[in-house]
Amino acid sequence: MSDKILPTTVVGSYPKPKWLNQLIREHSAGSIPDEVMESAYSDSIKAVVKEHELAGVDILWDGEMRRDEMTSYFADHIDGFTIYGEARVWGNNYYRKPSIVDELSYRDELTVSEYRNLRGLTEHDIKVPITGPYTIVDWSFNEHYRTKEDAIYALAEVINHELKALVKSGASFIQIDDPAIPTHLDELEIAKNSVEIATNGVEAYTGLHICYGDYSKMYPAVLDFPVDQLDLELANKGFQDISIFREHDFTKDIGFGCLDVHTKRVESVDEIKDNIRKAFEIVEPKRVYVDPDCGLKLLSSQVSFQKLTNMCKAAKELRDEL
Amino acid sequence: MEYALSTIGSYPRPEWFRDYLRKQEGLQKDSRGVVDESYMKAVGEVLGEQRNAGIDLLTDGQLLWRNMLCHLYDNMEGFRLSGLIRYFDNNMYYQMPEVVGKVERKKSLILDEYIAACSVEKKIKPVLSCYSLVDLSRNKFYGDESEFLMDVAGVMNQEAKALADAGASIIQVDEPSLLYADKEGVEAAGEAFEVLTKGVDSSFILATYFRDAKTLYPEVLDYPFDVLGLDFVEGLDVNLNIIKEHPTKKIIQAGVVDGRTTLMENPSKVKELIDSISGLVSGEKLFLSPNTGLEYLPYVKASEKMGVLSASVD
Repeated sequence: MSDKILPTTVVGSYPKPKWLNQLIREHSAGSIPDEVMESAYSDSIKAVVKEHELAGVDILWDGEMRRDEMTSYFADHIDGFTIYGEARVWGNNYYRKPSIVDELSYRDELTVSEYRNLRGLTEHDIKVPITGPYTIVDWSFNEHYRTKEDAIYALAEVINHELKALVKSGASFIQIDDPAIPTHLDELEIAKNSVEIATNGVEAYTGLHICYGDYSKMYPAVLDFPVDQLDLELANKGFQDISIFREHDFTKDIGFGCLDVHTKRVESVDEIKDNIRKAFEIVEPKRVYVDPDCGLKLLSSQVSFQKLTNMCKAAKELRDEL
Repeated sequence: MEYALSTIGSYPRPEWFRDYLRKQEGLQKDSRGVVDESYMKAVGEVLGEQRNAGIDLLTDGQLLWRNMLCHLYDNMEGFRLSGLIRYFDNNMYYQMPEVVGKVERKKSLILDEYIAACSVEKKIKPVLSCYSLVDLSRNKFYGDESEFLMDVAGVMNQEAKALADAGASIIQVDEPSLLYADKEGVEAAGEAFEVLTKGVDSSFILATYFRDAKTLYPEVLDYPFDVLGLDFVEGLDVNLNIIKEHPTKKIIQAGVVDGRTTLMENPSKVKELIDSISGLVSGEKLFLSPNTGLEYLPYVKASEKMGVLSASVD
């Protein structure tokens, strides 16, 4: 999709500025008017875009400033979902867990307005991340559909509608985020079907982001998913998964997670270069997209910026060497 | 048939208490919540919800438990916490405990929570675990897995005695891992339960959930438990068959409503299920409960779920 060799990109989320988090809290407590909140979101996105540009990122996203979380944000905009309250994920971490209470149908834009807004802010290429139907259903309660599978396919139709609308608005690179796929390997076929439905007739370059899983159990089967790119988390596990992907011909482009987002340590340019070189053991350089393992939102802005800067420098140096 | 309604263990934290704990503990720190004024208010609310729903045998809701069953390790010597790992097939995670030294009970595990809850409500069943704890953790110390299991059983025995001394007439032991065990594991668990229950002046419930219990039969009938908890949501057909094939004098604690979905069952359908279970047990008494703890649900849905349970026996 990209003309440049080793294009750099992000997976999606970026740390929210402290002032934005504060304003979100005050807004939900009712002490800040909607229009102020709206302009805060808008300004924070400008700041993120500038940071990404300064770091040297080629293919941008808006840092997901408007998304509180990757399930409920979408559920809030799709008919058939309701959210009764929060459910625990671990420790003191909770999320607003949606319930499917009626037939799922398209109501309003999920990502199109985010895309349009960003298009007006940068000349760079844009990648639009959207949570996959498999993951949204897996992280929701199902009150309506007879089976989980039925719910997933119904939601995949809704997502398909959105992806087509995105393409119509000019989007050319869409990433489906499906971190739940590796957690139920017995449902890989259902997950594949859901991606097939979601991307059917979508004239864009598509990627699939999967993380936190045992790739050995889903490879090479995952090559059958109808996407152009697999975006993988590799740094977190010290690149030990490379050997898995060498066993079969890797027939897709790779989004190569070369930064560990679970550590505050900023990897050096040389270290990242070595990391990226490992991708060449799997595919030729022109099929490699350089990015962090996952969204950066759990790190501080400073650390995120330094990591991205070093990553982009590393990609540039390698590009020059190749 | 006489019915006693019960809950399994966990209960969603009241929203304000969640925020309070988040402030106290932060999102990641390893500190453990304590029995304080806020906790007393929260446990009061959770017990009130259960009472209002007509529950006969209550739990304290495990409101301070950060790590599902592994909370029990918090006060034990010999452990440290490592990375996050999925808790069975739930979208819920726990920090995997690693055993790095001899397991010992230096202080009580849940006694303070039990006593606190009892000051509000007398009919509390405290919840322990043994085999599952060992199964859910990583052994980096014991050369022999069974020695590890026996040491945990010994600690649980001390805790059970302390609970019994504090007035616990019935204690529940949660063992979801047993449903995934092989024959060897089922036998080892039996020996551990002998240690756990020895000399404790209290009745014991074995709680199992997340799937059917076919791996446990017939050995489970010799376990030193008075009540056997089975999941009739996930393991419906197999568990119905099992209790038919293996008649027992032990009381069955039947999980008959789904603690992991916001979908509310039709009470008349639940009643049908209860009737078929009643027809297969020999005793005069049946414990009825959700199949799992209720903390998988948003707070408002937990009481509604208990409402379905009690409506089904009205």
